[in-house]
Amino acid sequence: MSDVGTRRAALMGRAPQNTPGSLWSYLFLAVVIAFSAFPLYWMFVIATNTDEALAKIPPQVIPGGELATNLREVFSMQDVFFLQSLVNSVIVSSVVTASVLFFCSLAGFAFAKLRFKGRNALMVMVILTMTVPNQLGVVALYILMGKMPGEGGWNGTLLAVIVPGLVSAFGVFYMRQFILDAVPDELIEAARVDGASTMRIFWSVVVPAVRPAMAVLGLLTFVATWNEFQWPLITLGGTDYPTSMVALSDLASGNYVLYRRVLAGALVATLPLLIMLFIGGRQIVRGIMEGAVKS
Amino acid sequence: MSTTRAVPAASRPGRPADATAPVRRPPDRAGTWRSRLYRFDVRYVPYLLIAPFFLLFAVFGLFPIVFNGVVALRNWRLDDPTLTGWAGFANFARLLDDGDFWNALGNTFGIFVLSTVPQLLLALIVASLLNRKLRAQTWFRVGVLLPYITPVTASTLIFTVVFARDTGVANWVLSLLGVGETAPIDWRSTKWASWIAIATMVNWKWIGYNALLYLAAMQSIPRDVYEAAAVDGAGPWRQLWRITVPMIRPVVIFTVVLSTIGGLQLFTEPMLFDANPALAQGGDDGQWQTIAQLIYKVGWRDLNLGYAAAMSWALFLIILIVAAVNALITNRLGGGKR
Amino acid sequence: MKRSWKTWARAVAAGSVGLALLAACSGNSGGGSDSGDGQVTLKINFWGDFGLDELKSRYEADNPNVKISLNTGEYNAQHEDLQKKLIAGSGAPDIAAIDEGFVVQFRGQADKFVNLLDKGAGQYESKYLPWKWKQTLTPDGKAQIGLGTDVGGLAMCYRTDLFKAAGLPTDRDQVSALWPTWDQFIAVGQQYKAKSGKKFIDSATNIFNPVLGQQPVGFFDESETLKMDGGPKAAFDVAAKMIGADLSANLTAFSPEWNSGFVKGNFAVLACPAWMQGHIKNTAPTTQGKWDVAAIPGGGGNWGGSFLTIPKQGKNVDEAYKFLEWLVQPEQQIEIFKKVGNLPSQPALYQDPAIKDFTNPFFSNAPVGQIFSKTAENLTPQYLGKKNGPTRVAVENVINRLATGNLKGKPDQAWTEAIKEAEKAAKS
Repeated sequence: MSDVGTRRAALMGRAPQNTPGSLWSYLFLAVVIAFSAFPLYWMFVIATNTDEALAKIPPQVIPGGELATNLREVFSMQDVFFLQSLVNSVIVSSVVTASVLFFCSLAGFAFAKLRFKGRNALMVMVILTMTVPNQLGVVALYILMGKMPGEGGWNGTLLAVIVPGLVSAFGVFYMRQFILDAVPDELIEAARVDGASTMRIFWSVVVPAVRPAMAVLGLLTFVATWNEFQWPLITLGGTDYPTSMVALSDLASGNYVLYRRVLAGALVATLPLLIMLFIGGRQIVRGIMEGAVKS
Repeated sequence: MSTTRAVPAASRPGRPADATAPVRRPPDRAGTWRSRLYRFDVRYVPYLLIAPFFLLFAVFGLFPIVFNGVVALRNWRLDDPTLTGWAGFANFARLLDDGDFWNALGNTFGIFVLSTVPQLLLALIVASLLNRKLRAQTWFRVGVLLPYITPVTASTLIFTVVFARDTGVANWVLSLLGVGETAPIDWRSTKWASWIAIATMVNWKWIGYNALLYLAAMQSIPRDVYEAAAVDGAGPWRQLWRITVPMIRPVVIFTVVLSTIGGLQLFTEPMLFDANPALAQGGDDGQWQTIAQLIYKVGWRDLNLGYAAAMSWALFLIILIVAAVNALITNRLGGGKR
Repeated sequence: MKRSWKTWARAVAAGSVGLALLAACSGNSGGGSDSGDGQVTLKINFWGDFGLDELKSRYEADNPNVKISLNTGEYNAQHEDLQKKLIAGSGAPDIAAIDEGFVVQFRGQADKFVNLLDKGAGQYESKYLPWKWKQTLTPDGKAQIGLGTDVGGLAMCYRTDLFKAAGLPTDRDQVSALWPTWDQFIAVGQQYKAKSGKKFIDSATNIFNPVLGQQPVGFFDESETLKMDGGPKAAFDVAAKMIGADLSANLTAFSPEWNSGFVKGNFAVLACPAWMQGHIKNTAPTTQGKWDVAAIPGGGGNWGGSFLTIPKQGKNVDEAYKFLEWLVQPEQQIEIFKKVGNLPSQPALYQDPAIKDFTNPFFSNAPVGQIFSKTAENLTPQYLGKKNGPTRVAVENVINRLATGNLKGKPDQAWTEAIKEAEKAAKS
């Protein structure tokens, strides 16, 4: 009894950061992690089993050995263009990431360290654009893409999914915040005195200093682009040229939809991101948390 | 809800960070060309640096939203290109007595409430636990991000399998608990069941992400605030609700607003939960068809872009209003003065 | 300062790499294309299984300049997509399959398809079932937009193992004798359910469709008026009775759960148009030998059956016709039948020993050639209206709601709702 009492007393007035996690908090967090991981585990179970194993009750709860068979089926479904879709997703996500990193660090640098008329007003605009729900413009975007140069416009081509993603307001905002702190003004001033132009300063002073931020922004952008669904579905749906998310939805429609195949496909489309989380998890966590606080 | 988010709410874009004031250079009469170049560099290059963002955003972000309004006021059908011209407010008028629209609106709100409230509450609790002194801290933080990193497309398909009526693991677990042993729950058949299934997917996806946003804010609370509150004798639970949450109110409001914007545009989950996603009907009776899904159906299956655009605008207005109301409510609940 | 130009150059270079990538990926778009050296790619859009996989390789081997890209998709989506592309004026495949349920809709846009009569297809008219030939022919008889592939003559597939376990006969003639009418079919179902405790049919919509196919008039009469009180009402009542007797496993047709129902033996019978054989085989290969084929209650009828058309916007119209013509030759049609069960729509072939004497080992060596030929020959074709496709989806939805959704246990209300939804779909 008194033990509990003293513990309670010890807890009082202590910041949570200084409070060691109790057994309960570990347990609760473990449940949360299990809940988070379960669907992914389940995807693996289904993707590695046969139809018969999955039809059993109680259900099969351990992975089987049929992953290779299921994957072969997925990749050989001509109409789904699965391999092509993975290539497309890599192209789209890489180009968008590269472009966002480049243009957003440029703009972030300008907003953080350069002085020009209307700077603050323009920065407010950038922030406001973050709250615009872009998805609501899809109808007009579709019409716009149809009017782009080329036969039939850009709809149905990767351009339609790449170009609108080339810049991001979040990217500008995030890079600005980082450059503000990470690049000492004296350094820039010194470079100026040496006669360096703005671009030169960007390349040789700013870029080296913000590499960590670029890693974070790059990871977040890549993930978000890879996972994009609605707009790619609208513009690329029904073509031979889908992204992997659209191909996944194709895999789930049609006459021969089998769960093991659908989830084998989902596994492949998720794997690159799981690997990224495994390698860059720390950066992604940091990116999200910094995005929240740096303000 | 597929794009990255940040917290702009409290940002101070006008922070005077102008140590970069123009560098004083000795007047250089000999090189007027040089000095002109220099002036150009200092005065105009900044605009060049920010131009790509504004140009691309104007064309592919802002213009579509505005142009959407134009489309909404016109006849614009993919199946009858000859039918053009101004339609006035016909498309909007049609909305008012379109049963499908109101049905979808109800579904959207139902799913939104079922997903946002538990999502943010649980995120707060998870964040407060992550805020303790933990072993394997990074591991936990990365772990809660698993759903965030998983493509919504993939996770929805997984949950569709989990919620399958006859073979799904959800019903199997429930049957172990004695629910629906003889008549397993048909997760697609009724509004409530389908809403719960979809809300579960949304909650799963965003709890960890929001928890990290809250955690970030919690860590910036000065520690002596807690020490001062010791007089109250606040245990961890009361500490969370009495001290922590009010201190991170801006972030809470921010997540409420973002969840509103995202939740009201819910698309992927209802789309792929359909037994036949190609139909975009959200159940036999549209029992879980959301507005974003209806917009897709009207635009690209019924090929009536004008009407779809009008729906988009209506949704835009609804989002604005709901986001504002939610922000206000949260502010009140959090004990805000304004 | 000199250096700064270099840095600018570097920026420009970085930018143009991006643009180059963009250009690279924008190149691939649209349907079939020829790549200069006489190489032609023919893209064929269809759904389910048209039995083309092996024929494709054979044709490609014989015609080295032709590549064939098979593109199967979801049934409704493929028709909608074709419609969209026809209107857009580009993007349609070189060859598009059309189901009979959508034929009137596309026949009305004959100017967007290659008139096969101009290509000399007239010589095949006498080979086809007359009604099949007429389905894709414009009313004035001047344009033929497609050549028939298969007809969906109806039979009833059943699981011999499950029948045996429930004490029902397994011989196909005895089974056929059990259910001359749908009412008797329901009685057998109740018997089966009482014995086995399992559900009899897969889904009520898969009863509705064949019963509707047996009616003289479907959703629409030839003046395009919606006639819900005739055929649809009769079919709806049978479906509702099935649901009322709790005989349906309530698996949404063509959903993944339906597919796994095949594997699990969730139902014992399945209305079987000829094309369904291929579906069963593809979906549940492990049930080989456990199926057999009996007559369907209520007499002959048709459900489904398709055509191949050549949209005018294609760039390889001649090559497309060449392939199409090759495909409808007896040899290929027979091969498709043997492979996936799709019954040709050319009656002369029914006398061909290759079909007449064909027994399918997957279906306990049932003489499927004879069974399905007979159903096709005795068929009275039905007029399928312009809005037949969407109307059917609408009524199927209501039936599903009656089975599991908010109309459960309310057949009368469901019928009112079905009329309402059908009218809405017919108007859309």
